[in-house]
Order: sequence, then C-alpha cells, then structure tokens
Amino acid sequence: MSIMSYNGAAIMAMKGKECVAIAADRRFGIQAQTINTQFEKIFEMGPRLYVGLPGLATDVQTVSQRLKFRLNLYELKENRHIKPKTFLSMVSNLLYSRRFGPYFVEPVIAGLDPKTSEPFIASLDLIGCPMITEDFVVSGTCSEQMYGMCETLYKPDQEPDDLFETISQCLLNAVDRDAVSGWGGVVYIIEKDKVTKRILKGRMD
Amino acid sequence: MINMASIMTSKYLPAVSAETTGCVGRPDWLTSELSTGTTIAAIEFDGGVVIGADSRTTSGAYIANRVTDKLTKVTDYIYCCRSGSAADTQAVADIVNYHLNFYKMERGEEPLVKTAASTFRNLCYNNRDSLSAGILVAGWDKRNGGQVYTIPLGGMWTRMPVAIGGSGSTYLYGYVDANYKPGMGKDECLKFIANAISLAINRDGSSGGVIRLACITKDGVERHVLTGDQLPKFYEDS
Repeated sequence: MSIMSYNGAAIMAMKGKECVAIAADRRFGIQAQTINTQFEKIFEMGPRLYVGLPGLATDVQTVSQRLKFRLNLYELKENRHIKPKTFLSMVSNLLYSRRFGPYFVEPVIAGLDPKTSEPFIASLDLIGCPMITEDFVVSGTCSEQMYGMCETLYKPDQEPDDLFETISQCLLNAVDRDAVSGWGGVVYIIEKDKVTKRILKGRMD
Repeated sequence: MINMASIMTSKYLPAVSAETTGCVGRPDWLTSELSTGTTIAAIEFDGGVVIGADSRTTSGAYIANRVTDKLTKVTDYIYCCRSGSAADTQAVADIVNYHLNFYKMERGEEPLVKTAASTFRNLCYNNRDSLSAGILVAGWDKRNGGQVYTIPLGGMWTRMPVAIGGSGSTYLYGYVDANYKPGMGKDECLKFIANAISLAINRDGSSGGVIRLACITKDGVERHVLTGDQLPKFYEDS
C-alpha cells in the first residue's frame, strides 16, 4: 500500500466572505484497522492561522511540532504574529529541506492576515511546492472525491454559517467514498473576531 | 461436464501500463482488483439460520459500491455470504447456482445444504491457486434443519454453529466467544449478528455501509436491511 494512504486522511479549506474554514476527518488508523476516532490533524499556528496535515501520522505530528518551533522563534525575533503568506513560505522551506527524504505530509493552510484580516488559503505537496487559490484547497487520500464535492457545492463569498454547511457536506460526502478516512469530522470557522470549532457527526464506517 | 478451471483462470488486468509520458500514474482505483473487503457472519438456530453482511466493495481505498449485496442466493433455501475477490466469489456462486438447479431438476427435491457447501468446496479447492474467496454457506433443509458451513481460503470446509469471515471478522472473535450461547432463538440470533457486523464496521476500513440480514427457515427467506441510525450502537468516546 502507498505510504500516503497508510494512515488515511482528508483535509480541506475554503474561503468565504471575510472568513475561512478548514475541516478534517478524525480517523487514526493503520491500513484497514481504525485505532482512534479523535485524532487531531489541524493545528493552531497563530490566533487566526491554522494548518491541516494529512498523510503519514508520525510526520503529521513531527511536522506540526517542528513548524511550531520555527514559528515561536519567528514571533520572538519579529515581535509580531506571522502573516499567512509568510507562513506558507516557512512550511515550503521546511518541506524542501527534506527534498530527497521527504516528510509524507501534504499540508493545507487557512488563515486571516493579522493586520488586514484578509482571508488566505493555500496547500503544498510533500516537497514544499506552494499553491495559493481563491476558492478551496483539498488534500488527502480522497482528494479526487473532495475535488468533485467542492467544485459542485462551492460558491464564493458565503457567510460563515453557510460556509460551515458547505464545507461540512463536501467533507462528509467525500470521505464516505474512502475506506481509510472519515469516522467523524471537525470544522474550524475562522472569522475576524472569533474562531469556532465544531465536531461533525458522520458515518462511523 | 464443463471444465471449471478454464472459466476461472485469468484475472482481469487493465491493458494500459501504469507509466505514460507526462502523466502522474494511474490512481489506485483504476488498477486494483475489486475486493469485497468485508464482514460476514452466520449462525444456526433450531428451525433455520440467520446470516448477515456489510455492504462495502472497495477498489484499493476507493469505495466502489456502498450498497453491495453480499448475501447471494444459490437455491430458495440456501444462501452464501461472499468475502474476498468480488469477481471470484460472484463467478463461483453462479456456477454453484447452475449445479444446484440441475440437481433439483434431476431429483425433484431441494438440495441439501451440505450438497451446496460441498459444491462450493470443490470449486474453491480445485482452483485454490487462482481464487481469492472466503465463503459461508448457510440454509435450511428438511433432513438436518438449519446449517452453517464455512469455506475459508484454501478450500477446506466444516460445519459450525456460528461462523464469521472477511477482513472485519478479526474484530469479532472475542465478541463471538464471549456472547454466543447454544439454543438462542430467531430474534436473539438476528440481534447477535447485527451487533457483530456493526462492531466490525466500526473498526474495519474495508467494511461499512448498511447491514444486510437474512433469516432462512422452512418457510423461506426473510430479508432485512439496517441503515443509518438503525445500526446497533456501541461505546465511542465522544
């Protein structure tokens, strides 16, 4: 089996009107066996900046820890919160530094600019190629299914509550066609003044 | 007499090679053989049998069919539960169905469950190198009542009061050992099988969808489907 589908994951991020949403499944499994249904794959990197890490579970945890370390040093030196676009470059640099023995994660970034509150989403491949989009980004073992759902359901400039509905349906229906992701979902809605984390009840199969 | 071996020799492989210039390589679900990943179970009771299965068919990690029917009729009173390669088990079940129809026409009476199981076994054993099929044969006949026969991978067969199979069955050995008692009635058996399939679905990535149940007695076959909220629930932290 491919190393990227050894643990299985599904993560997506979407842009809305002055907000962004990032969602992930909650399964931690080893090939076909499910071990845990509360595995965190989305990590907070700033008050309005989140990164989602699908892929090999050990690298999900290592990359998030190493990234947090670099971020902490950045904030101490610069004495301010990092901009999402700069964070994207930081992730890219971390991943490319392992070009010939990579971390098996393909991150998704979602956040708001700390000064202007401009929404930002981006994704990278496992060796750090960055991609910034204006609508949605997906990553994981069921990326084809997620692309299909997002292309169909996405509309630009949705209010936070509508964006929540849209991203939830995209995630739940995509993972229902993947044997190694799902078992519940979590959605973060990131707005200028607050971040709301909601757990999705989905099929546990 | 049809030559069984020649029918089931070659597995279908896509004609195109995996590498094409400029392409990323074909996704898993285009190149993997269809597997009924699966959880299947069957139990005898006085008067008949209860059988159950999940409904997921996978091609690699892609779920090709989420409402599959893995409980296949071979005669009016005998069903089989299929696990392993979807193609192999469908082909074998079709051939057994043909044989048993012939048998019924020649003798004018319903075939015994043992006969059906034996036919399955002969196909699975003689073609063991080419097949990937784990089958449970269960039904009712007037000589011995409800019977369950298990025919795992190599083609051995044995009668058991309760049998489980498929990739999800590994999660059920403890449950069955702890909860099976002889002398259960029809409704208890239905609950037992539904609980078992539900537990396996929760843990096994290759099993999922709905729970299909069937109860076979002297009066024929009664089929049930448990969907969504009807699936038995167990402890999950959150």
